[in-house]
Amino acid sequence: MRPTLSLSRAQIDEIEREFDALRNQVLADLGERDAQHIRRTLKLAQSCAIAGRGLLMFGFTPVSWALGVAALSTAKILENMEIGHNVMHGQYDWMDDPRLQSQTYDWDNVCDGEDWRQSHNVTHHTWTNVLGKDPDVGYGVLRVSESQGWRPRYFFQPVWNGLLSLWFQWGVGVHQMDLANRLYTAEGRAELKKTSAPFLRKARKQLVKDYVLFPALALWNAPRVLLGNLAANGIRNVWSNVIIFCGHFPEGTRVYTEAEIANETRGDWYVRQMQGSANIEGGRWFHLLSGHLSHQIEHHLFPDLPAHRYPEIAAKVREVCERHGIPYNTGSFGRQYGSVVKRLFKLALPRSRDRDAGPGPARELAAA
Amino acid sequence: MSAALPALLRSPWLHPLNDTAALDDLLARIRPTWSLRDIRAEVTRVVDETPDTRSYWLAPNRLWRGHQAGQHVQLSLEHRGRRLSRAYSLSSAPSDSGLRLTIKRQPGGRMSGAVHAQLAVGSVLTLGPASGDFVLPEGPAPLFLLGAGSGITPLMAMLRTLAVTRPQADVVLLQISRRAEDTIFRAELDALRSRLPGLRLIRHLSAEQGRPQAEALIAAVADLGARESFICGPDALARSLRQVYAARGWSARFHSESFTGLSVEALPAGETVTVQAAKSEQLFTTDGSDSLLVAAEKAGLSPKYGCRIGICHSCKCVKRSGVVENLLTGEISDRPDQPIQLCISRARSALALDL
Repeated sequence: MRPTLSLSRAQIDEIEREFDALRNQVLADLGERDAQHIRRTLKLAQSCAIAGRGLLMFGFTPVSWALGVAALSTAKILENMEIGHNVMHGQYDWMDDPRLQSQTYDWDNVCDGEDWRQSHNVTHHTWTNVLGKDPDVGYGVLRVSESQGWRPRYFFQPVWNGLLSLWFQWGVGVHQMDLANRLYTAEGRAELKKTSAPFLRKARKQLVKDYVLFPALALWNAPRVLLGNLAANGIRNVWSNVIIFCGHFPEGTRVYTEAEIANETRGDWYVRQMQGSANIEGGRWFHLLSGHLSHQIEHHLFPDLPAHRYPEIAAKVREVCERHGIPYNTGSFGRQYGSVVKRLFKLALPRSRDRDAGPGPARELAAA
Repeated sequence: MSAALPALLRSPWLHPLNDTAALDDLLARIRPTWSLRDIRAEVTRVVDETPDTRSYWLAPNRLWRGHQAGQHVQLSLEHRGRRLSRAYSLSSAPSDSGLRLTIKRQPGGRMSGAVHAQLAVGSVLTLGPASGDFVLPEGPAPLFLLGAGSGITPLMAMLRTLAVTRPQADVVLLQISRRAEDTIFRAELDALRSRLPGLRLIRHLSAEQGRPQAEALIAAVADLGARESFICGPDALARSLRQVYAARGWSARFHSESFTGLSVEALPAGETVTVQAAKSEQLFTTDGSDSLLVAAEKAGLSPKYGCRIGICHSCKCVKRSGVVENLLTGEISDRPDQPIQLCISRARSALALDL
C-alpha cells in the first residue's frame, strides 16, 4: 500500500529547516573521528584483501580456500560499499586527502567511477524514485512498482532478479547505458559504442586483475585462485544487490512521476527522499558491511555526510518523521528483503496495476 | 626506496600490485616514515626559540633530495581530520644533519596552531621537495640580509651555510623583532659570530625603536648598493624596500621572499566582482546574486555539473584564491586552493577558479 500523506506547506518548510540544521550540525562537528573511521576501514579492507588473496594463493585445503573467499569478499564488500560508494559521494572531500576525493576515486568493481558518479550521484540521488528518470527503478529489467507498465518479460522477473544479483556488478556497470532500448536499433548501437568505452576499459582492468594476474602469480594454484576470485566477486554481487534492493523496493516505498515533482523545494525533496527509501535494522557490523545503506533514509537525506554518522542521527530523523506523520520505513533484514521478493513476484503479473495509485504528497504540494 | 618505479612496474596490467598508494599504507604500518612517494620526516628534537616560536629538527626519509639555503618546503599535516598544508622556510643548512623548520605561532593561524599543538618528538609529517629561488648567489659578493620576525628563518639557513662554505664572507644582517625576547635565534646568531668573523649584526626592536622605515633601515648600511640583498618579512616591508632599491637603481641586487599571502576580505554581498577562469582563460563578473555555476554559464562557460542543488559534487572546482560563501550553510571559504561546489557557492570577492 502506498502511504497517503497530506503535509501543509508550513510543515514542509519546517522539515526543511530541521533537516538543514541537522546537516549543518554534523558538518560543523566533522573531524578526527570521521577521518579515523574511514582510515580504519581502509586498513581493514586492505588487511582482508591481503589475507584473502594470500590464503587463496598459498593455501591448499578447502578450508583455507573458503576462508580466503570469505576474507576477499569482505574486502571487496568493504571497499565497494563503505569506502568506494561513500567516498565517491563526497563524504570525505573535506579531509583534503587527495586519495579520498569524490571526483577522482575509483572502486574495485567493473563500474567505471565517472559513469557511477553520473548515474548514481547525479541521476539517482537527484531524481530518486521518479519514473522514467531514475535508472534505479527496476534497473531497466524489473518491475518494482505498479506504475511501471507491465510487459511480458516481467513474467520471469524472479528469475531475472536471481541472475541480476549474481552478476550485479555488471548490471551496475551498464545500467546507465539503457541497453534494453539501445541494443535493438542501429542508432542505439552506435550510441552505445561511443558511451561504453570507460566501462569496457574498467571491465578489462578488473578481469585482468582477478582472472589473469592473480591466478598467474599463483602458478599451479591458478585454478584455485581463479575460482576463489570468482566466488568472492559473486558473494559481493549478491550481498550488494540484496542490500540495495532493500533500500528502495520494500513495501511502503513510493515512486513519483515527473509532473508530481515539478517546482519541488528543498523541503519537498527531503520528503520525497524519506518516502522513497527504507532502512534495515541491524548491529554495528551489519551497518558497516552494508556501507550504512541499511540507513538508506538518512543516506538519501544527506548523501554527502560521512555514513557512519547515519546511526547517530537516525533517532532525530525518525522523531521528525513521526511528528509530521511521515512513515519511517524500517524493519529487520528478513522482513525488508521478504517484502522485496514478494513485490517482485506480485508485479510479475499484470493485473495488480493501478490498484493503489492514490494521490501522492508531491502532487498535492504542486497544487498548493 | 626509489622515487619512481621503472616503467615496466608501472604498467596498469599489474594493478593493484603496483598501487603505490596502497603499498605506502602497508609501509607506513611498518614504519610511519616509510613511503614510496611521500617525503616523510620524523621530529627528532623540539627547541623553544621564543615564547611563540619553536624549531623542529626533522629526520627525513630517503626521498628527500636536499635543499639550498633559503629554500622552503610545503609542510602537510592532519589536524582534526583535515589535511593542512603551508610553505615554511628551512632554517638549517644543507650540511646540517637533519632539517630544521622554525615556526612562529600566528594568532588565529590554523596551521601554525596545529603545528605547535600536535608536533612532538616522534611525530611524523609530510614534506614537499625544497623549492624557491631565494638562494645565495655564487661568488664572493658582499651580502645584506634583512629578516623581520620569522623572516629570519631562510637567512639563518644562509648564515649557517656561509659559516661552512665562506667563513670569510662579508655579511650585514639586520634583524627586526618586536621585543628582545621575541628575537628568534638570538643566542645562535651571537654564537655564529665567532665562526663568521665578517658578520655584522644589527638589531632593530620595533617595540622600542618604532616601526622600521625603509629609508632609515638602509641608511644604517653605508655600502648597501654594492651588496646582494636578501629581504624576508611581511609583504608591506618587502614592497617598500623594493621601491627604495628601484629608486636607486639597485633592483638587480634585490631579492625578497614573503609568505604572508595577501589576505582577502569578504566584500558585502551584492558587490560586483571579477572571476578569473584560469583553464579557459576567461574573465567574467558576478554580483553574487547567482551561484558561480549560473554566473559562469551566463558568461558562456560550460562547467561540469550534475544535480545543481549541492548534493552530487559533480561541479566541484578548485578555487585558487578569493572568498566564496556557501549558499546552504553560509560558510565562508577564504583560503587559497580550496575545492568548492560551484552550484551552491557565490562570490564574495574577486576569484581565481580552476575552470
